[in-house]
Amino acid sequence: MDSILVRRKWEPYVWLLPSIILMTTFVIFPIMIVFKLAFSEISKAGIVGGFVGFQNFVDAVKAPAFGPVMINTFIWVISVVGLSTLIGFIMAMVLNQEFIGRKVARSIVVFPWATSLVIQASIWNYIIKYEYGNLNNVLLNMGIIKQAINWRATYQIEFMWECGVGIFVTIPFVTFCVLSGLQSIDAAYYEAATVDGASFWQKLTHVTIPLVMPSLTVSTVLNIIYVFNSFPIIYTITKGAPANKTDTLITYLYMLAFYDQKKGPATALSVIGFTILCLVSGLYMMMTMKKEDA
Amino acid sequence: MMKKLVVLLLALVMALSLTATAFADDVTLDVIIAQYGPNTNNWFLGDGMDGSNFVKKFEEANPGVKLNLEVVSWNDIYTVVSTRISNNNAPDILNIDTFADYANEGLLLPVKDYCPEELFGDFFPSFIEQSVIDDTVWAVPDLASARALYYNVDMFEEVGIEVPTTWAELEDACQAIVDFYGGEVYPWGIDMTTDEGQAAFAYYVWGNGGGFTDAEGNWAVNSDANVEAIEYAIGLVNKGFTNPNPATQTRYDLQDMFGAGKLAMVIAPNSLPSYCAQKGYTDVNYGVANIPANEGKTSASVGVMDRIMAFKDDTADQAARNEAIGKFLSFFYDPENYVGWVSMEDFLPAVNSAVGALVEANPSFEAWLDVLGGAQFYPTAKAEWIDVKQGVTNVEQSALTGGDVKTLLDELQAQITK
Repeated sequence: MDSILVRRKWEPYVWLLPSIILMTTFVIFPIMIVFKLAFSEISKAGIVGGFVGFQNFVDAVKAPAFGPVMINTFIWVISVVGLSTLIGFIMAMVLNQEFIGRKVARSIVVFPWATSLVIQASIWNYIIKYEYGNLNNVLLNMGIIKQAINWRATYQIEFMWECGVGIFVTIPFVTFCVLSGLQSIDAAYYEAATVDGASFWQKLTHVTIPLVMPSLTVSTVLNIIYVFNSFPIIYTITKGAPANKTDTLITYLYMLAFYDQKKGPATALSVIGFTILCLVSGLYMMMTMKKEDA
Repeated sequence: MMKKLVVLLLALVMALSLTATAFADDVTLDVIIAQYGPNTNNWFLGDGMDGSNFVKKFEEANPGVKLNLEVVSWNDIYTVVSTRISNNNAPDILNIDTFADYANEGLLLPVKDYCPEELFGDFFPSFIEQSVIDDTVWAVPDLASARALYYNVDMFEEVGIEVPTTWAELEDACQAIVDFYGGEVYPWGIDMTTDEGQAAFAYYVWGNGGGFTDAEGNWAVNSDANVEAIEYAIGLVNKGFTNPNPATQTRYDLQDMFGAGKLAMVIAPNSLPSYCAQKGYTDVNYGVANIPANEGKTSASVGVMDRIMAFKDDTADQAARNEAIGKFLSFFYDPENYVGWVSMEDFLPAVNSAVGALVEANPSFEAWLDVLGGAQFYPTAKAEWIDVKQGVTNVEQSALTGGDVKTLLDELQAQITK
């Protein structure tokens, strides 16, 4: 009897061990190295020197591009996460209805998610190209426009396209998270609400949203992390040009590290990004968990 | 039975230990080569060298030296090299463009330590000069390319204009092309992306008597000539004479437009014709001319040169290692191998011994060698070059969004000379 108890005690840890080893080797250890590098002097060629305190952080924050890049990052995360959550939620509601071809519709929705981001971004790059872009071609052939339009006339517009592509590729993830939440809701709740004479909005706000909240929380927290760290879309479409005006923190620190050979400030920026993400997602989770408990 | 097994085992152990000692005498060189085009990998590692490859042929010709050779794309090569340096795992031989940072940080071996004298004398002296810091040569050129103006002959005839030689003529030509084709054709191509913003800078400032440095070799990015030149270039964009998005349209985009007959003029390297052929742009009837310069200034071509360098390795047997590196270079620059390498990706040679065979194979090389002879090079031997290279691109991109060229260049000058 005793031996079974002892086994129960250590058995979970044995099963967890492979993941713990993997996490330590490929996640925790590299994070520790980045933290160490952020406080070290790194030469242009890549030689790691001694401890320099917060010098790398000061250099990174003092750079003229830092402010605009942080604002871009903020706009990028809020717009992509916000809009994709809203649209993804609506799509999940639609896909949760009974209609002919629902299965087909569900698999189509997953397409953008199943394709690699680099390919997606490259395709969009072609679509909005001025000279031979598909969008111009289609509109011209349909007679909707008389002359090709430069869809990337200014960097503000280019950044909007990037956000648009970000939203497009993020929607499927939200849709499926919410859809799984919706499917787990017992139909009896809706029946009861209908019997009580609840309108569509009342059902939505009093039954659906509270019950899918856990799925929504998971999708939002994961999305904040994914979108904040998303690199391929911006790098493929503009590479942050002109003059870092379409960069987010991730693309900016990549260019800083590997184009400008300023690896010290770049590692400092990645530590800043990591800290921001930990704080934001931690805060968001705490807030929503509290609500659920209440 | 048992006896037989023991004998067999013993024999195996002896054989293994013998091969082990054989390996111990070998020098293995870690080599990183930049990927110049679709054929690079095949030539070094596949079957692109008469059915064999460079590594195989080298190892056959040089017993005792093994190559651990890797071809890395230009997109990744800086990341790969700096990561390896950070991990104390620098390659023995590296093929890349810049060398100053590695030399200044004491990571490189002086060329005279490993390069056979005869081979050293074969390099074009003007090329070798570009790799000198503190009177020491730190790298050897592996190849070069030169830039010139390509124009669409058919368009020029249709519009009825001459090839521009000055900036004023260039603007007139652009205006004539705009008037003739409406928005269908861009007259002039500009690439101010992070790929080649420094080349755009060079085309205009060198054509206006300016430059990255002054006559004494000190940084002078904010000289009056430079300010005027960049304002002129930005003016071309603002007047609608160029491709619409110079900050994101790379030279390859421009070459595609030129090949497809969407762009009338583009500054490109000598490899443009074969680029067009590879991509299937067979209709374009092009001419080559000097890059237009400002009135009264001389046109300057931009020479681009890449290098081969050797890293220090204090743990190795220096004499054996240096000799092995020398063998690598001798084999690489042997005209029998080198001519194939240079012409394969359409580059210009860096050694005299290859010129004869190259001109014989392709007579147009001769004209390009002349262009290369008069070309100016980026000041890559200066430690701040990386900052300047990114800095001038940043200035151009900021100016494209309305920034004042003089202020931007003044700021850059202050930043690099502080």
